[in-house]
Amino acid sequence: MQKINRNVVLALLSLTSLVFLLFQLCYYKFYLSQKNGAAFSKVRGSQSGQDSTRWHVVRKFLGLISSHNIPVYLIDPLILGLIDKDIEQIRSSPDGPSPECKYFCAPRDFTTFALLDKTWKHEVGLFRTAEKMGFQWLKIINKDPRLDGMDDLSGMEIPLHYIFKLASHAIHLVVFYERSGNFLWHGPLRLKQHMDRKFVPFRKLHFGRYPGAYEKPELLLVSIDDLKVQIPKNPSSFLEEMSHSRFLECRYREARAFFQLYPDDASLDAVEFRKRAKSLLHLAALTLNNLGVKFWLSSGTCLGWYRQCNVIPHSKDVDLGIFIRDYKADIIPAFQKAGLPLKHKFGKVEDSLELSFQGEDDVKLDIFFFYEEDDHIWNGGTQAKSGKKFKYLFPKFTLCWTEFVELKVHVPCETLQYVEANYGPEWKVPVKTWDWKSSPSNVQDNGVWPVDEWDDVIQIY
Amino acid sequence: MDEWKPSPAVKPHKKRSWYLAWKYKLMNQRALRKLCQTGAVLFLLVTVIVNIKLILDTRRAAYEEEEESAQDYDDEMLNVEVPRHPVNNKKVLDVEVYSSRSKVYVAVDGTTVLEDEAREQGRGIHVIVLNQATGHVMAKRVFDTYSPHEDEAMVLFLNMVARGRILIFTIKDEGSFHLKETAKNVLKSLGSQVAPFLSWRDTWTFVGKKGGEVYGEKHAKSPALSTWGDPVLLKTEVHLTSVEDAECHWPDTELNRRRKRFCSKVEGYGSVCSCKDPTPIEFNPDPLKDNKVFDVPVAVIAGNRPNYLYRMLRSLLSAQGVNPQMITVFIDGYYEEPMDVVELFGLSGIQHTPISIKNARVSQHYKASLTATFNLFPDAKFAVVLEEDLDISVDFFSFLSQSIHLLEEDESLYCISAWNDQGYEHTAEDPSLLYRVETMPGLGWVLRKSLYKDELEPKWPTPEKLWDWDMWMRMPEQRKGRECIIPDISRSYHFGIVGLNMNGYFHEAYFKKHKFNTVPNVQLKNVESLRKDNYETEIHRLLGEAEVLDHSKNPCEDSFVPDTEGRVYVMFIRMEQEADFTTWTQLAKCLHIWDLDVRGNHKGLWRLFRKKNHFLVVGVPASPYSSKKPSSVTPIYMEPPAKEEGAVPVPAVAAAEQT
Repeated sequence: MQKINRNVVLALLSLTSLVFLLFQLCYYKFYLSQKNGAAFSKVRGSQSGQDSTRWHVVRKFLGLISSHNIPVYLIDPLILGLIDKDIEQIRSSPDGPSPECKYFCAPRDFTTFALLDKTWKHEVGLFRTAEKMGFQWLKIINKDPRLDGMDDLSGMEIPLHYIFKLASHAIHLVVFYERSGNFLWHGPLRLKQHMDRKFVPFRKLHFGRYPGAYEKPELLLVSIDDLKVQIPKNPSSFLEEMSHSRFLECRYREARAFFQLYPDDASLDAVEFRKRAKSLLHLAALTLNNLGVKFWLSSGTCLGWYRQCNVIPHSKDVDLGIFIRDYKADIIPAFQKAGLPLKHKFGKVEDSLELSFQGEDDVKLDIFFFYEEDDHIWNGGTQAKSGKKFKYLFPKFTLCWTEFVELKVHVPCETLQYVEANYGPEWKVPVKTWDWKSSPSNVQDNGVWPVDEWDDVIQIY
Repeated sequence: MDEWKPSPAVKPHKKRSWYLAWKYKLMNQRALRKLCQTGAVLFLLVTVIVNIKLILDTRRAAYEEEEESAQDYDDEMLNVEVPRHPVNNKKVLDVEVYSSRSKVYVAVDGTTVLEDEAREQGRGIHVIVLNQATGHVMAKRVFDTYSPHEDEAMVLFLNMVARGRILIFTIKDEGSFHLKETAKNVLKSLGSQVAPFLSWRDTWTFVGKKGGEVYGEKHAKSPALSTWGDPVLLKTEVHLTSVEDAECHWPDTELNRRRKRFCSKVEGYGSVCSCKDPTPIEFNPDPLKDNKVFDVPVAVIAGNRPNYLYRMLRSLLSAQGVNPQMITVFIDGYYEEPMDVVELFGLSGIQHTPISIKNARVSQHYKASLTATFNLFPDAKFAVVLEEDLDISVDFFSFLSQSIHLLEEDESLYCISAWNDQGYEHTAEDPSLLYRVETMPGLGWVLRKSLYKDELEPKWPTPEKLWDWDMWMRMPEQRKGRECIIPDISRSYHFGIVGLNMNGYFHEAYFKKHKFNTVPNVQLKNVESLRKDNYETEIHRLLGEAEVLDHSKNPCEDSFVPDTEGRVYVMFIRMEQEADFTTWTQLAKCLHIWDLDVRGNHKGLWRLFRKKNHFLVVGVPASPYSSKKPSSVTPIYMEPPAKEEGAVPVPAVAAAEQT
């Protein structure tokens, strides 16, 4: 009997532990899902206590900066999203008192504002006042990218982000700088070693994971929730801009190393070609931007940017890429109007389209259209005399902004893969003889155009 | 027994018998039973492990949430903070000072703060100033008191040093030949016993506190004219005071905090560090109405002449219409003191690793500075370029504001410069008058961005070319026939005496007597007449009204120009072709104006003032204005003097000197 009892006890124990284990697994699963949705659950938990805190902190902050005459504007994507829904109403009654707190009361950890660097004087007084008002503040400084491209200059580090914290709410102030190419730039937020990592939950910030590039916004003074703030005049386009604002700095250090190995061509011809290529690129950018066609630096021009932060003087043309879905029939007339006659047109919109325009003084502008497939992107080439088709394959990429010859332009964010696909692993070594039919490492034969289509798909002027 | 076996679907009886059968079988097989038990225990163990893992995971997840928040944002370049020199609370400094014919050195607490054994260099009295609380070196100077006037500079410097500072003196080679009574008395008042009797080639070291105790002095007499005194080595101890005592008690403002930082680091800037009524470091000059250059960046090109930079920035920040936010100081090299000066005035400074040597170094520094300026201010269409050894006129920005639109609109212009090469005390008169000239004067000028970006920057001389940047800019390939606008009376004053292409004699001869405008808000006259075509009309009008001088007289003599005021006179000199400046150079020489190369000409015409009369010189027949010459007049020809042997080659440029 004793032996049986022992078995019973054991079995009982096993059963309870099984039940317990199941319970724990359930709990763990629940916990994980809760963690992922932390932002929301937390909000729910603290709604009653926090809603006015945020409004008060924002009001205090606006008071602080207006007492120092610092013009900031609201760029908080969540609030701008809300504002955008009622933008007509807000615009029409800029001074009306708000019946309820709609925008600044949703409890969040942050409210984000922007500051144009050149509009304030870096007065220390601001921070003293902030401290007196009870704010804790954090300044994130880093190297000035506008001097990064310069050999051997070391300027003072510049402030990129400020965080003002009061009670449970923090104001994230993003500092925007003007860059050559007539755009605004903000830096990444990187904490130095000694900094307090728990000052605020940095991961939840909307700005600072990457540097970003923006157009200079037009501002609008509005009164919302009884607070007067400046906002971008068109919040929806700002939000749209924000969603792909990621900026890549040129790799100046690597470019310097490249020039150590292969000294730059300083001949008059090279100087002249660079000048022409630059003005052609400026003209092309202007034309395409006016049409609203998104483009990026491709082939040799992209390689020049990536490898040496400049136009490659022995390349003979300027290369741009455009997704075929962005193709517009206006492109050709627009370029012709800008003084760039069509030189040749290969392929058709459905297949392997490529346009060439004749710039001044023998510099050619090549526009390649890119076709997206499930796992790769390709563009086509055509040999005029034989009607042979070629296909150049690229891994999938997204677009980032960069600054190139005083222009804000797109480049593939995954530039290395892009360049390597095109030029192979030896892309770092300058090659002066380049055959576009055989040299690229991603070229594939793609058949021949049917002879009856030749008139259409091979047009040379 | 069967209550823990809930299985109503199964017939209990049958089940029971099956179970019992199985059980007895099992009980009989000990091994199997044991296995069952072990299995249960193992199962329990697993439960425990899962339990523990759960607890750990939960904790880690919670921790990660906080930690990850910062992870993406870590700076990949971990800036390792270099530990500051350990703050020693030691109250005593060991000081060693050595003086001899060929070498001097000073060591403070074992650290060498001065060592000079270079040949043919560093002759005279070396002075070091230490902070009496921290022992840091605040100033290092050498006064070549073997040469005249250097003792005056030393007295000036010593008077500027604040009371209580520690002064260290040592002589290298010779320091007494031109050490006058005044200077000796100053040294005596500092407590030196030997100073009044210092003589030819003596060696001497001295450590003392200004206005206080003497820490030590050593001296060795030179036994004969041809030999030096024996080397002397002074070892002494200096007692430090508390920081409190070493600082002034200015009211706690942002400005004074800057001042305090500056004054505790460097010495030799006089009243800016006085405890009582220090000189202001903020000037708030009157703003300019309708200031067109408020948003134009100002690049100050500097080397390691912090005292010059200090003087320059003072005058710049006092000029009406200045916008301190647009000023950037570019320092050629990692020098601390110029940066301290920049920070004192709350401006931004950028340091530049020197590239190449001499002229090429200056050229590369210019290029980097200009490129950086246009990078930092991408909106700017122009940049004002200044150097650290210039005084800036009070109406400098007003002058530019009134004329800058010309540079924007007139393609035939190369620059606007604040400097008139020929504007000396006796040859410049009218602060409201502007000229067009074919030469680029530099020394405070405005550069158009498009000119720099499209033309100059791409082909700027490379580091291996030892060219002067300004000479290069004056070359026809760059200038392409374009002209600069200059004022009759300069809006800048070149005070630098030490520099790459500069020395005291040269400065005295060519720069000291330069006229400098001190009148505020001068209204420029006839700015529109400076446009390309208008200017020709203007010149023809002037020549039409000008009285032709008596060409039989000697143009060098004062009587060549009548004793009148406000008249316009013209003279004609021989100038065979465009590049024939033989007579002009001789004339310039005797008029005591710039004669080292040709400056200030416009199509073979020079404009200046003599005895308060406008004085025009036309080169015949090269100048298109030759037609204005009456046929009776023979152009004056002046013979260059016979070539002297060993004529001193004087540097043609003085715009770009650096130490």
